[in-house]
Amino acid sequence: MSNDQSTTNYRWVGKRTPRPDGVDKVTGRARYGDDMSVPGMLHCKILRSPHAHARIVSIDLSKAKALKGVKAVLTCAEIPDHPLSEPPYAPIINDMHDISRNVMAREKVLYDGHAVAAVAATSERIARAALKLIDVEYEVLPHVLDPLEAAQPGAPILNEDQFTFGDETEPKVPSNLFRSITGKRGDLEAGFAEADLIIEREFISEPVHQGYIEPLACIATTSEDGCVELWTTTQGHFVIRALCAKLLNMELAKIRVTASEIGGGFGGKNTIYGEPVAIRLSQMTGRPVRMVMTRTEVFRASGPTVGSRSKIKMGAKKDGTITAAEVDTWYQAGAFKGAPVGRAVETYFSSYKIANVRATCYDVCVNRPKVAAYRAPGAPMAAFAAEGAINELADRLGIDPIDFRLKNAVGEGDESLMGSKYGQIGLVEVLEKVKSHPHYAAPLGPNQGRGFALGYWMHGGGLSSVSAHLLDDGTVTVATGNPDIGGSRSSMRVMAAEELGIDIELIKPIVADTGSMGYSHLTAGSRTTFATGWAVVNAVREIIDKLRALAAKKWGISVDDVIWESGQAVPKKAGQDRIKPLSLKELAGMATKMGGAIAGHSEINAGGVGAAFSAQLVDVEVDPETGFVTPTRYTVVQDVGRAISPDYVEGQMQGGAVQGIGWALNEAYIYDAEGRLQNTGFLDYRMPVASDVPMIDTVLVEVPNPNHPYGVRGVGEPCLVPAPAAVANAVENAIGRTMSWLPLSPPKILQAIEELKLAAE
Amino acid sequence: MTAETRSTVRLLLGWTPVDIAVADSNQTVLQYLRDQPQLKGSKEGCAEGDCGACTVVVGALKDGAIRYSAVNACILFLPAMDGKQILSVEQVADTELHPVQQALVELHGSQCGYCTPGIVNSLLCLNLNGGAADRQAIDDALIGNLCRCTGYGPIIEAAEKACSTELSAAWKTRIAAAQKQLLSWAADDQALALETRNGPYLAPKTPDQLAAALDAHPAATLVAGATDVGLWVTKLGRSLNPLISVAEVADLQSMRLTDSHLEIGAAVTYSEAHQALSEISESLGELVRRIGSRQVRNSGTIGGNIANGSPIGDMPPALIAMGASLVLRSRAGRREIPLQDFFIEYGKQDLRPGEFVGRVLVPRKLDTFRCYKVSKRFDQDITAVLGAFNIAIENGAVVSARIAYGGMAGVPARAVGCEAALTGKPWNMKTIETAKVALDADFKPMTDMRASAAYRTLAARNLLERFYLETQNPAVALELASRNHMKGLVDG
Ligand SMILES: Cc1cc2nc3c(=O)[nH]c(=O)nc-3n(C[C@H](O)[C@H](O)[C@H](O)COP(=O)(O)OP(=O)(O)OC[C@H]3O[C@@H](n4cnc5c(N)ncnc54)[C@H](O)[C@@H]3O)c2cc1C
Ligand code: FES
Ligand code: FES
Repeated sequence: MSNDQSTTNYRWVGKRTPRPDGVDKVTGRARYGDDMSVPGMLHCKILRSPHAHARIVSIDLSKAKALKGVKAVLTCAEIPDHPLSEPPYAPIINDMHDISRNVMAREKVLYDGHAVAAVAATSERIARAALKLIDVEYEVLPHVLDPLEAAQPGAPILNEDQFTFGDETEPKVPSNLFRSITGKRGDLEAGFAEADLIIEREFISEPVHQGYIEPLACIATTSEDGCVELWTTTQGHFVIRALCAKLLNMELAKIRVTASEIGGGFGGKNTIYGEPVAIRLSQMTGRPVRMVMTRTEVFRASGPTVGSRSKIKMGAKKDGTITAAEVDTWYQAGAFKGAPVGRAVETYFSSYKIANVRATCYDVCVNRPKVAAYRAPGAPMAAFAAEGAINELADRLGIDPIDFRLKNAVGEGDESLMGSKYGQIGLVEVLEKVKSHPHYAAPLGPNQGRGFALGYWMHGGGLSSVSAHLLDDGTVTVATGNPDIGGSRSSMRVMAAEELGIDIELIKPIVADTGSMGYSHLTAGSRTTFATGWAVVNAVREIIDKLRALAAKKWGISVDDVIWESGQAVPKKAGQDRIKPLSLKELAGMATKMGGAIAGHSEINAGGVGAAFSAQLVDVEVDPETGFVTPTRYTVVQDVGRAISPDYVEGQMQGGAVQGIGWALNEAYIYDAEGRLQNTGFLDYRMPVASDVPMIDTVLVEVPNPNHPYGVRGVGEPCLVPAPAAVANAVENAIGRTMSWLPLSPPKILQAIEELKLAAE
Repeated sequence: MTAETRSTVRLLLGWTPVDIAVADSNQTVLQYLRDQPQLKGSKEGCAEGDCGACTVVVGALKDGAIRYSAVNACILFLPAMDGKQILSVEQVADTELHPVQQALVELHGSQCGYCTPGIVNSLLCLNLNGGAADRQAIDDALIGNLCRCTGYGPIIEAAEKACSTELSAAWKTRIAAAQKQLLSWAADDQALALETRNGPYLAPKTPDQLAAALDAHPAATLVAGATDVGLWVTKLGRSLNPLISVAEVADLQSMRLTDSHLEIGAAVTYSEAHQALSEISESLGELVRRIGSRQVRNSGTIGGNIANGSPIGDMPPALIAMGASLVLRSRAGRREIPLQDFFIEYGKQDLRPGEFVGRVLVPRKLDTFRCYKVSKRFDQDITAVLGAFNIAIENGAVVSARIAYGGMAGVPARAVGCEAALTGKPWNMKTIETAKVALDADFKPMTDMRASAAYRTLAARNLLERFYLETQNPAVALELASRNHMKGLVDG
């Protein structure tokens, strides 16, 4: 395949094109998870644990079953159990033993909101009433919420069959610490010995929720032959199919999953929660079953991101060379193992060339909902610690923060701590763009501060499938197996149009169900435009090849003598001017008469991912009397490889930055002393509203990824990575001291200001 | 009820009249839209009035003309729509998109699109009401609409582009027809009296009917704007039976100006009262502007805020400091009490069986008055501490002090010790310092997820000081009152 990116003279790529999903969204026509209804449908409601940690002594379903309108009630007895999975462990652990227990608690409930039983009834009202009739006897156990405490010997143990993996002493007692991952190089001791300045700090971040506005929702239908159809809001219906089939011991082909339009996910809709419950209830009743979570359930029982504690030590020379860096980070996995510890290590220090370095991240279970991915899972909290320490180093050495980073910046050929090797990257370009941006030099007023942070993210590749069909009239459908969460339908259409040389309006991008396509991995990891986009290019190139062959046949010349140019087949050789080129439309009209319909397919496992860097500048103003922070200006500069649809790329960057503002200033899971989640609604889990944030400026730096036909790098996640760190740094600079505990809520800042005042007296 | 009652709800769904036999009095407008006509465009993101995904535009008669307002369909009971018009997102476009929709498409005002129907309706309402679409107005219209994807920039740009466009002739014609329909319905004076499987829903039209209804159904739940009551059903899963609405009682919908007072009927919404309250005090007006979101203020009432009895309701402390009183009515008659006496203890108000809040009497002439709301975020957030100060100073000395706080105790309450420490003393920093100490003794605040006791105590003190500083330097106050110069949680 040719990856010639020398031409940037594109007709569609990089242009601001009309969006394919716009009208359906502004008219209310787009169909989301709960926008379907099926005749005869039952409504499922789930009973959830009121305790953070308790043994289930007994469950009495009899009264609930007797209620008129209740068609089925289930507990874990109806969900197959599975043995613990064996090492080696993948970076993302999908252990059916855990998933089975997370979907429906078995021996114990492990967090407030843990599912215990489920009801299917003829109305939601009856289902809710039935939940109240289920008697569960609990034996309440001590609980633990903090990962450092949970990792200590003597802490309440969540999973009694979990022994620390990789511990050479072969522990005989179970532990909440599942494993740790370490990345290292060089000689730390020597590195720190070389340093003129060494700093040590601790950083804390709280779990935050993805906060998608559409709650989790699905409908499962079972037919008499055992086949299941599932309609669900998800970032990857193939993954949902795989997990449901494995969990329920079903054959893959017997589950067909259709992804609804998705109302936001950000990583939170990568796995299963209610889907297997709805399937089982549907199997038990022979009727379609709808499961929709309330907002409270979404907060209590679907994965937030990890909370973290980090102890970091860094050393640098007076000239700004970082000589050594070392960090230990504890991630709360929630009730079951699987915090993104590998991603944390991957993130640590990965923008900097440091000779002596170690990062260790611990995956620790606590009595909180099992974490899920959230936009660059594992990275923003690691960047918060690393960038916070680096800003302090630069500050104390009196070096401009951008110069400091330029001095230590990684380049082509360098490696991350997890061994990702950088190809052509745009880090230096990004940093220089920030430095020359007017925002960098703009004056600040009293009580204002400017923050800066850098984020790194290695986006995903992997399995994607595409079917493109040329129709008789010259229009084209491009079907992918990836739900469109951030504008992928637009970029697929743009790349297909660019390849085919036709108007984008002739192309209809489609998200197809699992029955129609080859396996396609999640729309996550900033992989879709990269990997699925690549498959689109392959698929439409196959169409082009077939059209060339058709033209060759028509003209009676060799296919090698036909080229594709601006949407038409053209004879290559000189002297054939008499032959009139055939347009795509003309060829489409002939196809069925000359051999059959024309389609192109591609099933790929895309490698060649490229590192992406996002740098962010933010100004805030702090009210010294109340500790209230207002962000006043925000600029995101990011290497996007190539922006296929710049509007959407900017949208990703703006949305990511605003999520970072919420994370830095206000969002957090708040628990009471009994381990019950307190802020289970949007009023108390307060995400940014329009008046909280400035307009986010974006600067797209385009250093193409040489491995991709259009130079694509992932853009959705890098923009969140540095955001909390940048906002925190701005607050630090506004009040004049370091801040290490997110969120930087008014009380924390007021306290810091009071302490500063006392210290000054 | 009299024989003059109606047992079905009639409303305009979009532009079409419908007659609905309501099966469940607790059914929300959102449930109705999605389940019955299967209009799935309005989304549920929270069912608690927080996210705005369910925002619909409601047209209702006001002084003989149709007025549009954006409300949260998820917490409104369907019968409250009787005699009104509902515009859900499906009715916004005809053969072509409304300019707001067009701009949202062109400027990428949606990503996942789940918030979009609600945003379309909030912006449509801004457009229908014909106001200026500057950033403040747009923010105000959008604060109740959460979007997790876009970061809001493109939505604001779309609003700037489209919200002040002139209404098309087709829209004007349709609105005129809708108004005619609502007027013809209003002409017959029938009160709504539904029998549903979830018990009766009564919407009396006169205070006497209301008193009689309460007398007949002593266990009934009263509902005004349902911004508290709606959540009892949607969040707490309660079933309210019977339900009696105060919202249709004409007398309670009105405001009156007397020489001394502004009298606000218990069914008057925040939005309706905003202007009049701002005229009494700019500071109070700003407090009202920051209650909930536009959608919440369009439904919620001051009467409901008071009757709800929450220690963190925003109006009571301000009104107590102003010296407001309450008219309570029942079949037995009418009594007037100072507002501060209404709040007995946490969860307990001085409301006798069969009694309802009729009016709030707000004094028009204040001494030096300010109120300050402290919450974690500026807009659409629940109060951690609210301080309200009404102080008369003569010849440099305090002659009277009325100070009330919210969020500091189980009820909104006056800071008696603090008031005493001020009264008769010179109005200076030294007095303030003494008063701060006295204030500490007035309250024992609690620690909860909104704030710690220590933060509340510190903030309460700082508010007193800020009030003092503002009286010394009015320019400070001006600056704090403006959102653009927003200095944080506290504004005046
Ligand atoms: C998203 C959101 C944000 C909010 N933000 C704020 C805020 O910032 N500040 C704030 O203070 N509140 C806030 N609230 C709470 C609520 O909006 C207010 O308390 C509102 O004033 C209640 O008025 P209502 O008309 O909706 O009352 P309803 O919900 O209808 O009733 C409230 C209570 O008053 C009783 N009641 C109503 N009318 C009468 C009457 N005439 N006589 C006797 N009893 C009566 C009801 O039985 C009920 O107990 C918010 C609510 C939501 C959903
Ligand atoms: S659904 Fe969230 S406000 Fe109504
Ligand atoms: S576009 Fe997704 S929530 Fe607004």
